Amino acid sequence: MPGQRGVSVRRSAAWRIGLAAACLLTLAAARKKNTDDSSSAPAAAPAVTALPPVSAPQSPAAAPSDSDRGWSKPALGVAAVLALAALAAAGAGDLRDAGLAAVVAATAAYWGFGGWRYHKVSGDEQGYAPVQPIAFSHALHAGKLQISCLYCHGGAARSDFSDVPSPGICMNCHVAVHSVAGSNAPSPEIAKLLKVYETHASSAPAQIPWIRVHHLPDYVHFSHRVHVNNNISCQECHGPVQTMTRVRQYSSLSMGWCINCHRLTPETAPKHWKKVGGPLDCAACHY
Amino acid sequence: MTEDERRQYEEQDKVDGLRRRDFLQILGGSFAALAASGCGLSAPREKIVPYADKTDVTPGLARWYASTCGSCAAACGVLVKSRDGRPIKMEGNPDHPLSRGGLCARGQASVLDLYDSSRLKGPLSGESATTWEQLDAAVVKALDEARRRGKSVRVLSQTIPSPSLDAAAAEFCARHGARRVIYDSASAAAILDAHRLTHGHAVLPRYRFDQAKAVVSFCADFLGAWISPVEFTKAWSSRRRPEKGQGMAWLAQFESRMSVTGANADLRAPLRPSQELAAVVELGRLVAKRLGRGEFAPSAGSLPEPVSRALESAAGRLAAARGEALVVSGSPDPSVQAAVNGVNELLGAYGKTLDIRHPSRQRQGLPDAMSGLIAEMERGEVGALVVFGANPAYDHPESARVRAALKKVGAVVVLSQRRDETAQLAHYTATAPHALESWGDAAPVEGTYSLVQPLIAPLFDSRSEIESLLAWSGRKTSAHDFVRELWRAKVHPRAKGARNFDEFWNEILSKGAVEVAPVEGPSGAFNASALARLRPARKPASDGRFEFDAYDSVSMFDGRQANNPWLQELPDPVTKVTWGNVALFSPEDAKSLGLENGRMVRLGSGDDAVDLPACVQPGQAAGTVAAAFGYGRPSAGPIAANLPTRKLLPIDFDPPGGADVYPLSRESAVAVAVLAATSPLARTQQYDSQTVPFTGQERPLILETTLSKFNDYEVKEEPGATLWPKHEYPGHKWGMAVNLTSCTGCAACVVACQAENNVPVVGKAEVRKSREMHWIRIDRYYGGDDAESNPTVGFQPMLCQQCDDAPCETVCPVLATSHSSEGLNMQVYNRCVGTRYCANNCPYKVRRFNWFDYAHDDLLQNLALNPDVTVRQRGIMEKCTFCSQRIYAAKFTADSEGRPLKDGEIAPACAQSCPADAIVFGDTNDPDSRVSRAIRENKSYRVLEEIGTGPAVRYGVKVRNVSEEKA
Repeated sequence: MPGQRGVSVRRSAAWRIGLAAACLLTLAAARKKNTDDSSSAPAAAPAVTALPPVSAPQSPAAAPSDSDRGWSKPALGVAAVLALAALAAAGAGDLRDAGLAAVVAATAAYWGFGGWRYHKVSGDEQGYAPVQPIAFSHALHAGKLQISCLYCHGGAARSDFSDVPSPGICMNCHVAVHSVAGSNAPSPEIAKLLKVYETHASSAPAQIPWIRVHHLPDYVHFSHRVHVNNNISCQECHGPVQTMTRVRQYSSLSMGWCINCHRLTPETAPKHWKKVGGPLDCAACHY
Repeated sequence: MTEDERRQYEEQDKVDGLRRRDFLQILGGSFAALAASGCGLSAPREKIVPYADKTDVTPGLARWYASTCGSCAAACGVLVKSRDGRPIKMEGNPDHPLSRGGLCARGQASVLDLYDSSRLKGPLSGESATTWEQLDAAVVKALDEARRRGKSVRVLSQTIPSPSLDAAAAEFCARHGARRVIYDSASAAAILDAHRLTHGHAVLPRYRFDQAKAVVSFCADFLGAWISPVEFTKAWSSRRRPEKGQGMAWLAQFESRMSVTGANADLRAPLRPSQELAAVVELGRLVAKRLGRGEFAPSAGSLPEPVSRALESAAGRLAAARGEALVVSGSPDPSVQAAVNGVNELLGAYGKTLDIRHPSRQRQGLPDAMSGLIAEMERGEVGALVVFGANPAYDHPESARVRAALKKVGAVVVLSQRRDETAQLAHYTATAPHALESWGDAAPVEGTYSLVQPLIAPLFDSRSEIESLLAWSGRKTSAHDFVRELWRAKVHPRAKGARNFDEFWNEILSKGAVEVAPVEGPSGAFNASALARLRPARKPASDGRFEFDAYDSVSMFDGRQANNPWLQELPDPVTKVTWGNVALFSPEDAKSLGLENGRMVRLGSGDDAVDLPACVQPGQAAGTVAAAFGYGRPSAGPIAANLPTRKLLPIDFDPPGGADVYPLSRESAVAVAVLAATSPLARTQQYDSQTVPFTGQERPLILETTLSKFNDYEVKEEPGATLWPKHEYPGHKWGMAVNLTSCTGCAACVVACQAENNVPVVGKAEVRKSREMHWIRIDRYYGGDDAESNPTVGFQPMLCQQCDDAPCETVCPVLATSHSSEGLNMQVYNRCVGTRYCANNCPYKVRRFNWFDYAHDDLLQNLALNPDVTVRQRGIMEKCTFCSQRIYAAKFTADSEGRPLKDGEIAPACAQSCPADAIVFGDTNDPDSRVSRAIRENKSYRVLEEIGTGPAVRYGVKVRNVSEEKA
């Protein structure tokens, strides 16, 4: 009996280590997938940086990629393996282990099917892509229609903060455009905009409560205008927004990520930047 | 706030404290549960809600609007910074012809008054809320009722130099057969009265300190709180620039308490209020003798020897500066003021340093007007009284009589921002807006006009005084239209240069102020016979009583901003006491009474007695006691009542907010009784001398010289040894020059910094533990041969010195403070873990530690926070950053426009609003920058240089214009 007990403890420990490893693997897989298409060194992303800063590149007939759907195949793989393990454990009569494995498998599956995009996993929120109140597609507007980023986010060139367009700006076009291409039926998403805009002259106009995607802590100051006016294109930090049907946080926005660009020299920096070598003083951002 | 309410607050606090412990336990449990379930935390769902129809607001871009400060009748020009539609900072407007870019502490703090949630939320009928329609109908009915009964209608206000408001009040008076009564809590009635005696018409001259080479002041605190302190400081400091090679104006101050002006005087003599007339007459006699004129006036009494000696010297200076000399007095005694007029006439001051043809309108209250009204109300002859811009139930010496008399008035209508002492007695209260919420104008002196424009829609249901008065006159119009029409008719035709009115209006809206062709008033021939019958209004105190001197303090003035936490925590420039007033005694009297700092004393007798903590004040005239107005308001709000602004902050169990000395100010002498109780002073400076305690070694932090030696003065740069390699500053090297000669210690910079940098207010209990958070403080040192009875005073603004070899940097275990490539000691809040080693190692004691989370529970007040500066949390260290946010904003602008930074483009908050232009900031790597020039020209030194810190702040040596025989 004591020997058996010892075996049980060892097996249980192995199980737990295995389950924990599976959890970590799931997270890592989801995050790895995210960074796969976001190599952070701007010099390594010539396809994007070569563009003039304000116009979006054309991405003809871009099929929704995995990252747009938010799937993570490795995480799904882990979920599948664990599900099998749970079945096996159940078959062997070890219900406690089976239960544990099933819970972790379900978590991994949730994660694999895109759950990672809604949750804060570690310090940064890379990959975060919340569902917005209006299903506005940057892939359509910036990608297909090639509307300049600054047309809607003009504050980025003038102010430290980039603004979110007011319904008034949307209505410059949508006063005429009520349906999506190839359809005569009014789009329900555009209808939401029209409804909000109708109230704009009233004393308490309706609002579109967009969900914030990019969030910097309050103790960091980032100035959009100084970067935009240095000819740094929006995509260098925000990624291929023109391909995103739903916007996600592309870069980690961590301090190390910022500093990597500030440290570039004229030899290593993209040639279209006007000025190279941002300040490295703490007080440049923290005050 | 009653004692009961106070007790309730404290009980609530204890309950909340218990709840907090429970909450922490539950929280701990929840974390365990979370960890067990392995659940992730959801990302913070923040929202970005754009403006529905965006007009001229770009998120993150500050916009500046020119307006006029509404804090007092001085009506200084301001520039108001608006971020995302919220006004967050007020600064001086350099285009304003009077204030010329300066703004005092009270003006700068007034932005916080806007976000005061204890303001009135809407109109009141009695104590209950009502609508404007109902209120208007009821008020008009009450006014008509008063006239039908044959009773009088009166309009009472303090001086508000607004032509539009005057016109609206005149329209109201015409419609209701009313008469207007003006009084001033900080009265200059004696000056107006004296000019009626000597020049034939009651007028307040415009004082031209910029034209004066020698000034003698009797109790007039013109650099502190007298009439128009910013204008006077700007003008005066422009004549105190020895480095410009044009000499330096000279100032003598005769006063009973140590005022800001006295602290800056080249010659100062303590003088009891009852001796003032004798002193002014003696000065006149001496000046007349020197100028070879006939006898000035019969002597009005004998004076102590030091005063006579000082008067001799003052007379010599004045006579030598004839035509450029000025005598001023803050005395409430018309005889003293008439004698002052006589001396000014002798000196040829009228038309030069004293202008009565283009007079000031900053004080219009005449002495008899208010007492006449009180008598009228007491007789029951007033049917309706409309009060605006005034709080006579508190800020008048006869406030008790006013309160009783108001009950005999048929209808009391009060236009007020808050339910103050007068509004509590009102039948109808019309909620008035803050100056940042309304249209208006100001004409503080003849020929100078400025506009008040709203920065934000009224936060509460308020209506401008102009609109209310007009509505009750049967005219529905907006304040904007009324002001505009008045300017079209009255101001535009007088403006220089032909422009159409719309262009003119828009130009003034963007500039703030305009000078138009002045209307010359009569000059009036001087009537010397007025000097023959001077009788002092004040008798010397007898039988052991003390002469009482109540004064307007720099921070609290007449108490109208008593609910402003920035001003409550602003140390008085001289006494350095916060959160309440104190009774000031001379060291000699304190010794004989057995007083020490903080001992409670009872001043006065009978009903008018007040209890105040004593404070021993060097330089106070013996036999006098002084206390500041503006404190002890029963109905100003929770801050004035010293209630906790934040749950779980330590509260003070003291009698809240000092004591009201208005009733006492009627008496010229008070009895002093020493009580057993004590109330430790909440004071920010405990040590007044530049001598090292224990060793007695002299260690001057303020270096001084005299005017005659200034040119030959040499600064010895003797930096101490350092262990560290020299820093390289390849680009900019930020530095600051502080001119100790022009700094008056007025404390405008302290509030400027507080507003700009989200510096928290800590409360009285924490100040007592020396935990105040001000990033810039003004150290005040006493010195001279007579450091007890009449010291010389030096002020030194002390902020982070941004040392090259900073002692703070070397001891930080987590590198939260480190050196920038531009010479700043950076403090990184998110890195700091709160060891406080840096504060211990700082020889200048400028680092501040957050012992608590000081942010307000009052969410409305948080709207005044500057979004460009981190709000610091509990447990971390903070300090002056040289306004890094302004440095980087200027750099970003320059970068975005593809040009280098210009010199003078960056002004930290303290430098921007300094009324004395004492602070210059810039790049010391550039030898031609303003700061480099100022450092050279002002013979600047570094404080505690010998310990090898290498500060980036340099202080221009303090120059005193003292007579050679004394120097």
